[in-house]
Amino acid sequence: MSVTATAIPAQKLADQPRPQRRRIRSSLAERIAPYAYVAPFFVIFAIFGLFPLLFTFYVALFDWNPIGEQTFVGFANFERLFADPRFWNAFVNTFGIFLISTIPQLLLALVLAHLLNHARLKWANFFRMSLLVPYITSVAATALVFGQIFDKNFGLLNWILEVFGLPSVNLLASQVGSWVVISAMVMWRWFGYNALLYLAGLQAIPREMYEAASVDGASGWQQFIHLTIPSLRPIIIFTVIMSTIGGLQIFTEPLLVAPETGLTCGAGRQCQTLSLFLYEQGFGQFEFGYGSAIGVALFVIVVVASLINFFLSTRTRGGR
Amino acid sequence: MLATPIAAIGALALALTGCSSGSSAADGDPNAEFEFWSFTGIGQQESVDRYLEKNPDAKVKLSEVGSTTETATALTAALAGGKVPDLVMIQNDDLPKFVENSGNFIDLRTLGGDDIGDDYLDWAIDAATGEDGSIIGIPTDVGGLSFAYRADLFEAAGLPSDPEEVVEMWSTWDGFIEMGKTYTEATGQPFVDNVETSVFFAAVNQVTEKYYSPDGELIFDSNPEVEEAFQVAVDTYEAGISAGIAAWSSGWAPGKANGAFAVTIAPSWILSGLKNDAPDTAGSWRIASIPGVGGNWGGSVIAIPARADNPEAAWQYIETMLSPEGQTEHFAETGTMPAAKGALESEDVLNYTDPFFGDSAIGTVMSESVLQFNSFYNGPDTSAIGGALLNALVDMEAGNVPPADAWTTGVDSANAAIGG
Repeated sequence: MSVTATAIPAQKLADQPRPQRRRIRSSLAERIAPYAYVAPFFVIFAIFGLFPLLFTFYVALFDWNPIGEQTFVGFANFERLFADPRFWNAFVNTFGIFLISTIPQLLLALVLAHLLNHARLKWANFFRMSLLVPYITSVAATALVFGQIFDKNFGLLNWILEVFGLPSVNLLASQVGSWVVISAMVMWRWFGYNALLYLAGLQAIPREMYEAASVDGASGWQQFIHLTIPSLRPIIIFTVIMSTIGGLQIFTEPLLVAPETGLTCGAGRQCQTLSLFLYEQGFGQFEFGYGSAIGVALFVIVVVASLINFFLSTRTRGGR
Repeated sequence: MLATPIAAIGALALALTGCSSGSSAADGDPNAEFEFWSFTGIGQQESVDRYLEKNPDAKVKLSEVGSTTETATALTAALAGGKVPDLVMIQNDDLPKFVENSGNFIDLRTLGGDDIGDDYLDWAIDAATGEDGSIIGIPTDVGGLSFAYRADLFEAAGLPSDPEEVVEMWSTWDGFIEMGKTYTEATGQPFVDNVETSVFFAAVNQVTEKYYSPDGELIFDSNPEVEEAFQVAVDTYEAGISAGIAAWSSGWAPGKANGAFAVTIAPSWILSGLKNDAPDTAGSWRIASIPGVGGNWGGSVIAIPARADNPEAAWQYIETMLSPEGQTEHFAETGTMPAAKGALESEDVLNYTDPFFGDSAIGTVMSESVLQFNSFYNGPDTSAIGGALLNALVDMEAGNVPPADAWTTGVDSANAAIGG
């Protein structure tokens, strides 16, 4: 023992630095590695996500001409914004389109998913696949086709109305009418996508639970309300939040549905949304400062709406 | 306390966006390769090919960036901090905001001498002249204005169909409205496609002062000439002779083909679109001067950014291709209305006709309209104000605004648009 005890320390002294250094090195590398793996995302996010976000806040404080002078104006852009009827018009339009597109769309998707989940449905895979067709169709193509359908002079809708002897309508000219047209486009594009998400959730619910519910005498409707909906809650929350974020930033549909009036979506701005208003001011009028102020306002609105969604959904869970 | 960091950040931002001032434009190889940004769909490649024929040693890199607006947006981004082209086309509607910041471009007088603008229409040069007198663009073309009308439909309504008689009948806007009433009574069909582009746009450009006074003050809401032009559009609507089909709306192209209206405004560059939209109506259309004759819609200039790498090469292109002779040749090939006075008075232009339009005197009509056009000052918000007034008329035609309120609505939204 003692021999080895004296021999080992000498060797240990000689060897000590190397393994230790190796250990430090490896543990350092181990500690750094995860950060290195996620770094590409964060570096790219910092450049293309965070920097533009912060820079927008900064530009919003200026009267910013991209090719001329940039003058610091403090909060003047925001004062102008809150007094600007065009901003409040875009605000109302955005929420109007959001409400009449999202709520029916998610309900429809839920019902459709429920039907597609039916065990005895034939050609189930065909129907499930075809749900994605609107989603993979270009928004621009969708907008052009819908624009043709609802055209006041030679549109398909008015042609059908005429066949039945009804007066023709000019939906795009009125505020609510243009909301309906845009919402129809949004619903057409997204309800299949959401239905597939719900379907995935439905298939994760064990059949035994439904069998047990049937044994307990629950009707189909009761099963839907008390079993299906609660089991789907995480997916419902996800779809609601994603639809909120997407719906409040809606841009392409209102841009393309009334191309003849440029960036205002109709002569009376009847369907101009917040992001379209932002684009009009920033890149139509080159008022970068004012456009950035609209961007900041839109950012705050989306954050607040998402928080409200989040608290509503967690509160209902707590209530149960 | 607050001022210093903000100034520092501001300076940083300026450095980031690369706002450097102009480089010297003096010497350089006129045959070095230069980059040229133009719009799509105007056949600029033909012009470049012709330049290379005349000048085989030259090297041109032509990029068709996109629509006129997209090209202006790309140019703005490039000027704010990117690689700028050596030569760029700017449409007249987009021009004021570049002219207002004329330091971004080379004053072409330094390359071509002080009399460089003399060959061109005065108002087209004025539009490209900065406050300090610098000329930043040479006009490539203008958009002479006329009415296109359907001779067959006019005849069916018992109206004269010969351009000379038609022009006499609508020598005033009142005459135009009267003619429309006769047509609509006889046929039950609307006379004109819409009142905003076919009437207001035409009438509001026949003024001596438009939205700004000559010294740059905003006068659009108090200028009686503008309100009168607007009223002509309202009167046309109230006469019940407008189809309410906006230009470029989805019903416009079918309307031209199926006789939903008999008259539409026709700037020179729209004629080829009319032929494409309504090929079956070949020979039925005629071209005639608008009431009051003078008019212009559109047109472009060509400019050299201050930071261009090869301004000499770009300038050689301008000198060769935009001379009166060069513009006459370009017209012969593409039908683009020249902006050089000599070209507008050339036989090639004056004698131009097209069988699609029943061999109407297109060249003479267009040439007269731009030669009789008045110069007035356009400021940075000219196109925003014009857009707001136009939209008020569209909204009136959609039934959302009573005709009596249309003017106030337009003025209010124009004021909102310019932040007043």
